Amino acid sequence: MRNIVNLLFIALLFTGCEKVIDLDYKGNQSRLVIEGNINNEAGPYYVRISKSIGLSESGEYPAIDNAQVMIGDDGGHSETLVPQGGGTYATSFLEGVEGRTYTLTVVVEGQTYTARSMMPHYVPFDSLNVGQVSIGGDIEYQLIPVYTDPMVEGNNYRFVLSKNDKLFNQHMIQNDLLRNGLVNKLRLEMDDDKLDLQPGDRVTLTMQCVDAAVALYYTTLALMGDTGPGGGTTPNNPPGNISNGALGVFSAHTVAVRSVTIP
Amino acid sequence: MLRAQSKYTISGTVKQRSSGETLIGASVTVIEKPTVGVITNSYGFYSLSLPKGNYTLLVSYVGYKQELIPVELTSNVMIGVDLSDEVVLEEVVVSSKRNDENLTTATMGTEVLDIQTAAKIPVVFGEKDLVKTIQLLPGVKSSGEGSNGFSVRGGATDQNLILLDEAPVYNASHLLGIFSTFNSDAIKDATIIKGNSPAQFGGRLSSVLDVKMREGNNNKYRVSGGIGLISSRLTVEGPIQKEKSSFIISGRRTYADLFARLSSDFKDIQLYFYDLNAKGNLAINSKNKLYFSGYFGKDVLDVSNFLGSNWGNVTGTLRWNSILSSKLFSNTSFIYSDYDFNVSFKTEGSEVNYNSNIKDVNLKQDFSLYPNSRNTIQFGFNVIHHTITPTKAEGTDIVSDKKGRKALENAVYVSNSYEASDRVKLDYGLRFSFYSILGGDTYHVYQGNALTQSITLAEGGVGKTYYNWEPRLSMNYMLNSTASLKAGYARNTQNLHLMSNSTGGSPTDQWIGNSYNIKPEVADQVSLGISRNFKDNAYELNAETYYKTMRNQIDFRDGADINTVPDIESELLFGKGRAYGLEVLWKKKEGKLTGWIGYTLSKTERKIDGINNGRWYNAKQDRTHDVSVVAVYELSPQWTLSGTFIYTTGNAVTFPTGKYVLNDMVVYQYGNRNADRMPATHRLDLSVTYERPARRKYQSSWSFGLYNVYGRQNPYSISFEENKHNPQKIDAVQSSLFRWVPSVTYNFKF
Repeated sequence: MRNIVNLLFIALLFTGCEKVIDLDYKGNQSRLVIEGNINNEAGPYYVRISKSIGLSESGEYPAIDNAQVMIGDDGGHSETLVPQGGGTYATSFLEGVEGRTYTLTVVVEGQTYTARSMMPHYVPFDSLNVGQVSIGGDIEYQLIPVYTDPMVEGNNYRFVLSKNDKLFNQHMIQNDLLRNGLVNKLRLEMDDDKLDLQPGDRVTLTMQCVDAAVALYYTTLALMGDTGPGGGTTPNNPPGNISNGALGVFSAHTVAVRSVTIP
Repeated sequence: MLRAQSKYTISGTVKQRSSGETLIGASVTVIEKPTVGVITNSYGFYSLSLPKGNYTLLVSYVGYKQELIPVELTSNVMIGVDLSDEVVLEEVVVSSKRNDENLTTATMGTEVLDIQTAAKIPVVFGEKDLVKTIQLLPGVKSSGEGSNGFSVRGGATDQNLILLDEAPVYNASHLLGIFSTFNSDAIKDATIIKGNSPAQFGGRLSSVLDVKMREGNNNKYRVSGGIGLISSRLTVEGPIQKEKSSFIISGRRTYADLFARLSSDFKDIQLYFYDLNAKGNLAINSKNKLYFSGYFGKDVLDVSNFLGSNWGNVTGTLRWNSILSSKLFSNTSFIYSDYDFNVSFKTEGSEVNYNSNIKDVNLKQDFSLYPNSRNTIQFGFNVIHHTITPTKAEGTDIVSDKKGRKALENAVYVSNSYEASDRVKLDYGLRFSFYSILGGDTYHVYQGNALTQSITLAEGGVGKTYYNWEPRLSMNYMLNSTASLKAGYARNTQNLHLMSNSTGGSPTDQWIGNSYNIKPEVADQVSLGISRNFKDNAYELNAETYYKTMRNQIDFRDGADINTVPDIESELLFGKGRAYGLEVLWKKKEGKLTGWIGYTLSKTERKIDGINNGRWYNAKQDRTHDVSVVAVYELSPQWTLSGTFIYTTGNAVTFPTGKYVLNDMVVYQYGNRNADRMPATHRLDLSVTYERPARRKYQSSWSFGLYNVYGRQNPYSISFEENKHNPQKIDAVQSSLFRWVPSVTYNFKF
């Protein structure tokens, strides 16, 4: 709805004004952050462990290099990841296979954190369509990922977007709640003003088939980004799939990539 | 030997002489018996019982010339009274009908607003607005700049019962909240009751906003209207049967988008609303009168061919007033109400429509009984049949099996206004409400968001019924002729709940009824007040405190996408709330300078399982201080200057406390919910009205307004972004809406 409200005020010829203000932030409790990914392409797969910092701090995010990190699957395979420095840990032989459930175990300073994620079956990413709408004299581009949702219910898709090789910091999720088993025709919901596509821009979109818990994590982030009329959803730490109060998410997903140049 | 004196009844209707409009809340007292007096009811009716004898009735209403009527009482008589409003200075304050009504009645937390007051108060875009004016009263908080949503005593925006001629209005705003649905040309007055409502009202936790439409002039045809920068209005009224019955039709439309479309940039945008109020009445005989009132309003927002939306309310009320006897007055209302919202999004070759709808058929029967001069008894019942369709997505390839859910909301009530002594008045009553889920759909039961049971109710069947007793009590103790103490207790329940992700009155909001998961919301409020008048009622000071608890409050779990989820009930969390505060209202009611200063100190919190680790947190509408100053100054009979100033603490919000990096993107970390504050808002608005001396019958006036005189950038929303030059630094970016909005309106009447 954000776009509707913005348009409304544009249409009324009262452009809202923006300014950067100073705020007093409440003290932050630094927490462990775990980022784990495993996909259907060849390894190595990485786990990154760091700590959160206060909002107004500008230093590095503290990396955790002394953790024990292990990933296992429901096929009886498991592996202890090797630290690479900078808080990164890598697998060496584990395979990412569709349909398998992976378990991540991290031990840091005597605390154990676990997470489980199921890698959904691969869904082909057929093409990336670009639609055009004229709004208030400007051309706005809509990105429509074309794929055929399988008949089985409960599929979730996460999209990661880069414009001219620069990662776009917004979270985009689609699911089959409304259109199960059909070819997707829905545009990606995002803040178009921030992406600001122009003719000639190269857009690369990665489509990940994710499980429900990972989808909920990113949907929560997406809803918080939608400031909407009067503030939108009250923000909160998204419900992750990692136990013991760690921030972050462990995602087993399939990957498919498409690129397009804006005409 | 003492003989029981036989008593006779004087009854009738009090009207405005020039137009024949009935006057609500006019005072009828007896000179010979200073303790005897009544106030006319919602239909202008009064009834008094007195022993045989000679009396003089004093009938008065603020802003009108009072009438003295001699009565030789030997049998029951009907006396209709017409009051003239032609000689008295125009009253421009929130008016108590009797100058000391704030002292003498037991009602608490109640303010009556007449439309002339609203007309003089500056608002954005110059469109006079009843709801915006009500937001300037203590205890009533706007839910955001430019918003018509409001929160009363810490309640949510859906906890206000908004009635237009008794028909519930489910979305009281136009253009996403900038205008209210109430066209002030068609409105007689509005009463807001902040929780301590009489037993005849029920169904919402926080307040009743009872808006009455005008009846139209029953003497002569009149045309009035106004032309503004972005909207215009036109009203036609006149007699059907001279001095007996009348009609009024009033319409409005905005046209900001017509101007905008002159510029090629906006040629493919449509954005407007229109609404139409119509009312007619027919006197069948001296004891029976029929009224019909209707409202139709629609908002349209279309952007190119990719987004189309429209939403609107339709209400219709058919009422039958009957004076059954000189002591018994009856009103029967049939009410229809329909709120509908549609939005459609189109991309190449595909379309999705979201639709939500609520339809009511409503029967209401109210009796007023005047057994003697000390008691006024009201009793009646209300039956509402709801058909509620929560947001449903349909379109290319999408078939939704969501159905409209049906329910029956019933209530019976009785209340009495009792004048226990010269000093003590009591209003007490009891409302019994019961809500039944009706068949025709399947209801899912969730425990901690996991489905545990599904209940399919056959068409025509009755599912769970919720019962609630709602006691109401308020009392008034006159300390002396200029001061009184008041105390009250009320329980209110609410069976319909608004599912909203936003704080404003967004049209995507959807209503949902009680179910097997959602239980009736219940609020208990105690309040204490003191009123004191000064200088022969020229000044009035009212202070009230309240403490309110709320049960079965509803919120969403994190990540709930309420528009697409198959069953919204799977996403709900439940808990309780509490709110308390102090409200002070100081009014100046007479003289060239009139107006008021309102101050509210308040707190409102929620405790919901699954939010903030189950601990109490500030509700988003929690604001510590609210100050409003309203002043109207009559420079001369032609020129009037008016201004409002507001200062409010910012809403309770959640800012990030920290940050981390996940998959190369910065993600914010949050601490306690709503532990932060938006910056404070303050603003001054001014307007000047020039009334041209009437030429024959043609009257006209010009109003010039300036909203946000000193151009403060008040916070509307705050977002957090990485600084463009130093991505490690996070900027808080505040957006503001309106700075220096001028307005010009031309009003006419002939």
